[in-house]
Amino acid sequence: MDTTQQVKVSYDNAIVKNFAWATVIWGIVGMLVGVIIALQLPLPGLNFHEYLTFGRLRPLHTNAVIFAFVGNCIFMGVYYSVQRLCKARMFNDVLSTLHFWGWQLIIVSAAITLPLGITTSKEYAELEWPIDIAIAVVWLIFGANLIGTVWKRREKHMYVAIWFYFATFIAVTILHVVNSVEIPVSFMKSYSYYAGAQDALVQWWYGHNAVAFFLTTPYLGLMYYFLPKAAGRPVFSYRLSIIHFWSIVFLYMWAGPHHLLFTSVPEWTQTLGMVFSLMLIAPSWGGMLNGLLTLRGAWDRVRDDAIIKFMVVSISCYGMATLEGPLLSIRALNKVAHFTDYIVAHVHVGALGWNGMLTFAILYWLIPKIYNTKLHSKKMLDLHFWMATLGMLLYVCSMYFAGLTQGLMWLDMDSDGYLKYPNFLDTVLKLIPFYYLRAIGGLIYLLGAVLMAYNLFKTACSGQLEVNEEVLVDANFNLENHEDEEEEGVHRWLEGKMGLFLVLTVVASVAGGLLELYPTYLIEGTKNHQVVVKPYTPLELEGRDIYIKNGCVNCHSQMIRAISAETKRFGNATTFAEDLYEHPFLWGSKRTGPDLDRIGGRYNNVWHYRHMEAPVSMSPGSIMPAYPFMITNKVDTSTTQTKLKALRVIGVPYTDDEIDQWKESYEKQALEIVESLKADGIDAKTDTEIIALIAYLQKLGKHDAIKK
Amino acid sequence: MSKKQDKNIDPLMMDHDYDGIQELDNNLPTWWIGLFIITIIYGAYFVTDHLILGNQVSAEVYREQEVLMAQKAKEESKAPSVKLTALTDAASLASGKAIYMKNCMACHGLEGQGVVGPNLTDPFWIHGGSVDKIVHTIKVGVPAKGMIAWKSQLKPQKILEVTSYILSLQGSNPAGAKAPEGAKE
Ligand code: HEC
Ligand code: HEC
Repeated sequence: MDTTQQVKVSYDNAIVKNFAWATVIWGIVGMLVGVIIALQLPLPGLNFHEYLTFGRLRPLHTNAVIFAFVGNCIFMGVYYSVQRLCKARMFNDVLSTLHFWGWQLIIVSAAITLPLGITTSKEYAELEWPIDIAIAVVWLIFGANLIGTVWKRREKHMYVAIWFYFATFIAVTILHVVNSVEIPVSFMKSYSYYAGAQDALVQWWYGHNAVAFFLTTPYLGLMYYFLPKAAGRPVFSYRLSIIHFWSIVFLYMWAGPHHLLFTSVPEWTQTLGMVFSLMLIAPSWGGMLNGLLTLRGAWDRVRDDAIIKFMVVSISCYGMATLEGPLLSIRALNKVAHFTDYIVAHVHVGALGWNGMLTFAILYWLIPKIYNTKLHSKKMLDLHFWMATLGMLLYVCSMYFAGLTQGLMWLDMDSDGYLKYPNFLDTVLKLIPFYYLRAIGGLIYLLGAVLMAYNLFKTACSGQLEVNEEVLVDANFNLENHEDEEEEGVHRWLEGKMGLFLVLTVVASVAGGLLELYPTYLIEGTKNHQVVVKPYTPLELEGRDIYIKNGCVNCHSQMIRAISAETKRFGNATTFAEDLYEHPFLWGSKRTGPDLDRIGGRYNNVWHYRHMEAPVSMSPGSIMPAYPFMITNKVDTSTTQTKLKALRVIGVPYTDDEIDQWKESYEKQALEIVESLKADGIDAKTDTEIIALIAYLQKLGKHDAIKK
Repeated sequence: MSKKQDKNIDPLMMDHDYDGIQELDNNLPTWWIGLFIITIIYGAYFVTDHLILGNQVSAEVYREQEVLMAQKAKEESKAPSVKLTALTDAASLASGKAIYMKNCMACHGLEGQGVVGPNLTDPFWIHGGSVDKIVHTIKVGVPAKGMIAWKSQLKPQKILEVTSYILSLQGSNPAGAKAPEGAKE
C-alpha cells in the first residue's frame, strides 16, 4: 500500500450561503401569502383586487412554499453536504451559479404570472409551458452538477444521503416531464395533452410523488446528514437505510390514485393506490426510526438544544403524516376527509412540521458554521421553537376539527334518507371560527420565521463568510484499490458504482408509473364509448378559460363521487365518458364551495350574474370572493380560433365549420344570454367575461349526449 | 438504554465514515418487520379479492343500486295521491317561514315580492296557484328557468309548510313587488 498523499480541496460555501438566504426570504414570503389567504376565507372582503383573489393567491402560496422555500433548502443542504460527503468541490462553479439564479428567476416568474391568472390549473404544476421548460433546464443543471460531483468523489462509497438525492433528481425529472406535456396556444397559454380521468391520473401520480420526491426523499437525505452531525451520534442502522430507501423508491410511485377514490378513474387503479399506500407505512416509518433512534444516548441534548428539538418534532411529524396518509387512502376514511380541511391539516403536518422544522434546524446549524461564528441568540432560538410548535398545533388542530365537522355534516342523513344539512353554505359557515384560529396559528408560525431571519442576520453580521473552506483530503483515491473488497456485501459494492445505482433507481421508480398510467392511456384510445360528449362551444370554452384563470378550481370540485350522500346533494356521479374532452380536468381537490359538475340549469342566468357580482346578494353569508370586474373585463378572443385548433390536434372533434365560424357562434350564443339578462333589467355586453363564464357554468352537466 | 449497553449491542461499521458520520448496523426492530410483512400480505389479499376474484362493489354496481333506489322512491310517490290542503296552524306557518327565509328569500325576496324569481304575493301564477300545483312546482322545480327542484332537500311535510306560508302572503302587497307573471287564479 502506498502512503496516501494529501491534497487541498476547497468547498464552495458561497453557493450554500446564497441558497440559505433564498430559503429564509422565500419562506417568509410564502408563509405571508399563506396567512393572507387564510384570512380571505372568513373575511371575503380581503379579495380586494382581481389579481389578489383567493383562487389566484392560493397557487402562489403552495408554489412559493414548495418550490421556493423547500426547494432552496434542498439545494442549500445538498450543496453543503455533497461536497463534504464526496470530499470534492461542486463539479462546476458556473453550473452552480446558473442553477441558483435560474431557480430564483423561475420563482419570480411564478410570483408574477400566477396573480395575473396565467395558470394551467394543475395543482403544484400551475406554471405555464415556457416556465415549465425553464424548470426542466434548471433542474437538469442541478442534476448534472450533483452527479458530476459524486462522479469525481474522493470517497469510494456513496452515503445514504446521496442515494436519496439521486432518487429526488431522477423521480422529479420524470414526473415533471410527463405531467407537463401540453399543447401551447400562445406564449402564456396551453392545454394539457391529457384529458379527464386520464389527466387526473397523471396529475395525481405527479402530485402525490411531488410530495414523495420533493418534500420527502430530499429531506430524508438532509436528515441523514444533518441529524448525526448536529447530534454527534452514529446513524442507528445501516441495513434499515437500505431497506427503507429501496422500498420507498419503489412503492411511492404506485400510490397516486388514492387521491381519486370514488371517482371515475378505473376501479383497479384506485385499489392499487390504496394497497400501495398501506404498504408505505413501514418504509416511511423506517426513516423516522432511523432518525429518532440515532438520538439514543443523546436525549439530554434533546432537552436543551433547540436545534435537536426542532429535528425531533420534525421527524415525529414525518411519522405522523406518513401514518395518516395511508389511513386516509382507506375508502371509509377517505369518504369523510376528502375535499375537506382535514386534508389541509394533513399536508400542514408535513409542511409546517416535517419540512419547516427541519429547515429551521438546518439553517440554525449551518449559518454559524459557514460564517465561522456562534449563533447570535440562543434565547431567540428557543422562543422560535415554541412559536413554531404552538403555531403548528393551533393550525392543524383547528383544521382537523373543521375537516371532520364538515365531512360528517356532508354525509349526515336522517332516517328517511334525506340529507340533514342540504344547504351547503350551512356546512361552510360552521367553519368560520376555525378559519380564524388557523390564521392565528399560521401568523404565530410566520412571526417565528421572521424572528429566525433576524437571528440569522445578526449571526451573519457577527461573523465572516468562509467563501472557500479549505481542507486536506486523500489525494490518490482509487476506486479499484481497496482491501475490504472481498468481504463487502452486494449493496456495499453497489454504493461504489454510481452509474449502476442511478440506473437501478430509475428502474425502481419508473415501474409504478408505467404499469398504472399506460394501461389507462390505452383504454382511452380503444374503449368504444357509448356516449359521446359534444365539445364546448367557443363561448363556453372561453368561459372555461376564465374559470381556470381565476382559480375557481381551488374552491370548487367538479367531481361528484359515487357516494349516495354526494349524489343526493349534487346529482348523478361524474362519469368517465363525460370528461373525455376536459383538457385539463377540473375535478379540484378542495370543496370550499359546492361541487359544480352539474350546476348547469340549476339557476338562471340572472342568478349567476348577480352571484358573481356579489355572492352574498344571492347566498347570504357566502364566503366566495366577489368578481365584479368580470362585468367590465373583455374576453380576449384573439386566440379563440387557435384554441379550437389546438384542441383538435389533441383529439377534441371540432369540425372545420365550427373552427371557421367560431365568431358567429360566439356572438350568437353571447347575445342569447345578454337578451335573457335584459328581461331582468340587466344591461350586459356580449364581449364581457361574465357572459362567457355564465355560458360555461350553464353547460356543466348538460352535455348533449349523442348515442353512437 | 444505557451507554454501556449501547456499545455492546450496536455493531459499529468501522469502514463507514463520511465526513465524520458513522453508521451502526443494528437489526431492524421486529415489530417494524412484522408491520411491513402484514401490510404486504394484506395488500396481496386485497388485490386478489378485489381485482382477481372480483369481490368489489364497483362504482358501476353502486350506480345500479342508486337507480333501483330511485325507482322505488318513484313508485312510492305514485301510490296514494291525497288532495293536499294548506296548513293554517301557527307552528306550521312559523316553520314554513323559517324554511322560506333560509332557502327562498334570495330569489323571491324578503316578503315574497320577487327578485330573480317571480312575485309570490299576487294572484298570478305561472305554474298554477292551487296547493297541489305549488307543492309540485317546489318539488320538481323549473330548472330551465332557474327554479330549483327541492325534493332532495326538503321533505314533503316541509314543502307543504313552506307552501302554506307562501299562500299566507297572498294579497300582502309588499313594497317593490315584481310585475305579475303568468295567469290570474
Ligand atoms: C374562496 C373560495 C371560492 C372561490 C375562489 C370561488 N367560489 Fe364559488 N362558491 C364558494 C362558496 C363558499 C359557495 C357557496 C355559497 C354561495 O352560493 O355563494 C360558492 C358558490 C358558487 C356557486 C353556486 C353553487 C351552488 O350550487 O349554489 C357558483 C356557480 C360558483 N360558486 C361559481 C364560482 C366561480 C365561477 C368561481 C371562480 C370565478 C368561484 N365560484 C370561485 C366559494 C368560492
Ligand atoms: C335560485 C333562485 C330561486 C330560489 C332559491 C327559489 N326560487 Fe322559486 N322560482 C325561481 C324562479 C326563477 C321561478 C320562476 C320559474 C319560471 O319562470 O317558470 C320560481 C318559481 C317559483 C314558484 C312558482 C311561481 C309561479 O308563478 O308559478 C314557486 C311556488 C316558487 N318558486 C317557490 C319557491 C320556494 C318555496 C323556494 C324555497 C324553498 C324557492 N322558490 C326558491 C327562483 C328561485
